[in-house]
Amino acid sequence: MMNIHTAYMGEIEIDPTEILKFEHGIPGFEDEKSFVLLPLEENSIFQILQSTKTVSLAFILTIPYDLVSDYNFNLDEATVEALDINNENEVAVFSIVSLKDTLANSTVNLKAPIVLNTSNKKAKQVILDNENFAIRHKLSFESVKG
Amino acid sequence: MLVLSRKVGETIWIGEDVEIVISEVKGEQVKIGIKAPRSIDVIRGELRQDISDSNTEAVVGSIELLKKMKK
Repeated sequence: MMNIHTAYMGEIEIDPTEILKFEHGIPGFEDEKSFVLLPLEENSIFQILQSTKTVSLAFILTIPYDLVSDYNFNLDEATVEALDINNENEVAVFSIVSLKDTLANSTVNLKAPIVLNTSNKKAKQVILDNENFAIRHKLSFESVKG
Repeated sequence: MLVLSRKVGETIWIGEDVEIVISEVKGEQVKIGIKAPRSIDVIRGELRQDISDSNTEAVVGSIELLKKMKK
């Protein structure tokens, strides 16, 4: 076990095998290669993606399928190869939430989901070439409550 | 940054398996062909920049909003 400092939960103990490895970081944060996923609160649809390197760097993630029922995309070969994905059952998909003053004004990035191989913890922000997915998709409050 | 002058039809190789072809030049627009293994991401710069900007604005400043929602 190891201890890390977090932006919103103080110092916590994590299992190093739970660390998500972003080999090339994510756009804008290319040097941030190591994160942990922390549950926000029990039963919350949101999770925190906390950098293990930079205490103040955290993102809110959510499962896009809970917000947009018809959300789906094909994993491109570059992602399958980069994350050593052998089987679709080991893939988890998250979207980054951009919190604004209210939830109704907050947005979720459907264009560039975080794809995680749950078996080896390799992860990557994948940029989808799909006009239907917005970078700033309004977080529908109704769907959030459900 | 390395800058090379090329004419239409000329190519540039990057490493062993990426080939860039200048396919057309018309006024301010250049059409570029890219032959690369599918394992390599090819993304337009402005789209990557948009994602980068969106990531930067998504860095969490406060989680009070999410806590409030629970009540």
